[in-house]
Amino acid sequence: MATLEDLSKCVISGNVAKAKKLTQELIDAGVAPLDIINQGLIAGMNVVGVRFKNGEMFVPEVMVAAKAMSQGIEMVKPLIAETDMPSEGKVLLGTVKGDLHDIGKNLVGIMLESRGFTVIDIGIDRSPEDFIKAIKEHQPDIMGMSALLTTTMLHMKDTIELMKEEGLGHVKAIVGGAPISQDFADEVGADGYAPDAASAVDLCKSLLGK
Amino acid sequence: MTIRSNLKANQTSRMNVLTPDQCQELVYAAEEAMWRTGTNFHDKESLEIMKRAGCWVEGTRVRIPADITERALKTCQKHIVLCNSRTGARELFVEGYNSYFGSGPCTPFTINPFTGERHRATRQSVAWATKVLDALPNIDYAMSLGIVQDVPLLISDRHEFEQQVLNTDKPIITVCVDKWGQEDCIKMAEIVAGGEEELRKNPFICLYAEPISPGVHCKEAAQKLVMGAKKGLPTIYTPCIMAGGTAPATLAGVMVQGLCESLSGLVLSQCTREGAPFIMGGVYTILDMTTTIFSYGAPELSLMLAALADVAHYLGIPMFGTCGCTDSCIIDEQAGIEAAISIAMTNMSGANLNHDIGYAEQGTTSNLDLVVICDEILGMARRLTNGIRVDEDSLALDVIERVGPGGNFKGEFDDYLDFDDEEDAMYDAYGNFKPKLISRAAREIWEKAGGKTLREAANEKVRDIINYHEPEPLPKDVVAKIRHIVENAVGHMPGEDD
Repeated sequence: MATLEDLSKCVISGNVAKAKKLTQELIDAGVAPLDIINQGLIAGMNVVGVRFKNGEMFVPEVMVAAKAMSQGIEMVKPLIAETDMPSEGKVLLGTVKGDLHDIGKNLVGIMLESRGFTVIDIGIDRSPEDFIKAIKEHQPDIMGMSALLTTTMLHMKDTIELMKEEGLGHVKAIVGGAPISQDFADEVGADGYAPDAASAVDLCKSLLGK
Repeated sequence: MTIRSNLKANQTSRMNVLTPDQCQELVYAAEEAMWRTGTNFHDKESLEIMKRAGCWVEGTRVRIPADITERALKTCQKHIVLCNSRTGARELFVEGYNSYFGSGPCTPFTINPFTGERHRATRQSVAWATKVLDALPNIDYAMSLGIVQDVPLLISDRHEFEQQVLNTDKPIITVCVDKWGQEDCIKMAEIVAGGEEELRKNPFICLYAEPISPGVHCKEAAQKLVMGAKKGLPTIYTPCIMAGGTAPATLAGVMVQGLCESLSGLVLSQCTREGAPFIMGGVYTILDMTTTIFSYGAPELSLMLAALADVAHYLGIPMFGTCGCTDSCIIDEQAGIEAAISIAMTNMSGANLNHDIGYAEQGTTSNLDLVVICDEILGMARRLTNGIRVDEDSLALDVIERVGPGGNFKGEFDDYLDFDDEEDAMYDAYGNFKPKLISRAAREIWEKAGGKTLREAANEKVRDIINYHEPEPLPKDVVAKIRHIVENAVGHMPGEDD
């Protein structure tokens, strides 16, 4: 019979079809649904995260592993209550007003999703008001802003200030993009900054105490 | 004397990545993408211009019929000359197989050459960088090597241009934050040149804009293109795309998408004013799949841009290339390797106006030590393309005969001595490269001279230039008028309506 370890290995090797097959076998064998997720699917993805950080795996491999994981989770999901579903946290992402660049933001989203975060992407050219509205609607744990230009990055401060005015200071604000630095993040009152997509995942985890 | 008939000779070395047939395939594919998929223009005036010209406009999506693209390729000015800002002398003939080299713009960060500290670029760092570019013999034009950030950011481009034009008489490629910035910089250039007409006759500035891949022309870029066309000033349009990130993972796919974006910009420029001088740009590279960075040191960058040079030659339009840059965070062996390969390859490909010399840390940080090292690399790269002269004289049969077996070639030294050699000449009587920073000394001699690495020698040269080099000054009244424009510049927040 398939074991949880076999399932982890399928996720690590990015074998989507086999991951689905093994997940079904484990469900049929009566293994606890949460164990399938935590000890099988997510356990595999945790190994992928470590290997990626060590430069042993690259983005396409991470993405296909994440696909194997999420398809497995989709199969187990109907068997457990929504409140029991493990999630690393919810992150809302957007590119600031006046800026249409989004590849960096998209990569951060991909990496976060692959590590178990729920990601809400509100797109590009988003004003401080757009961010506030989306935060109120989606209630994320973290709000991330992206900018590529030294002119548009100025909008980050406005958004963070407006968040505080609106009583949303409990939501962590993170910033990123080519012209952003830790100094700038401190200056605009952000809770965190990460220099690339992979470290953004670590940043989100540490901000949520994980 | 030997009379030779029908001899084919290479006056220079040359290199091709693509054949003309392959270039044609790429161009047709780009025309197809421009029509079938189209690109988005986020500027009202641009949309109106393209619609009036017969393009198919739906919302912001613009699909360009191939006949309009082909007409634009015919009408754009191909003979583009950039001039000296002080004399108006026509210096860079940005066309054919002529290759010119210079720095890159807009890095948020720079390295202080005296302290080694990494900091945000300032008025002073841009002034220093421009001075260094001005002094180096292989650097043909200047880009800023930093966004000035010790001033209000929305008008940083005016401060940047001021520092550039004060510190060099070489042509300047200016990157402005928006149309208002570009308008001010053109005004300053007109003051330096002696009027609007003078600037247009002998332009010493070149404008710059870039689309956002895949397939988006933001408002600022489109407006700068339109203004460049109306003003009749050379304008570069540069997609910065990465395989697997903002373009297909196949390199041919990247080429098609880059061409689609560039040529859509060309169509806008030609529909604005037929004949406007347009330079097709490119930073085509890969998304590094381990770090998710836009790579400035990848071999694929040099390969794709050499291929783009083939396409540019095929189309007969000027091209803006990329080289002399590195992903390395310091100026080390990796930086040297990446800069040297990209410069040598770019020079061999015959791309016309080549930027980003001095970029380190994946293009986020400028480094003047690297600029000086690249100047030396350029001396070597240009020797490579100068090829081997084969004629009766250079075959030297008489010398071989005179010296004979077991003899020595000491007599050949006479020609070196006869050569009217300037002290800082890059090449000797035989056209061979004379190193300035590259060391060929014996160990003891190198040790006695301080045992310096190439980077240390380069850094000394940078400091020396900053301390002692004096660029050709501008007349005092011109300086004052430029200052007036900078002081009265008004910034516009991005995303605000016009």
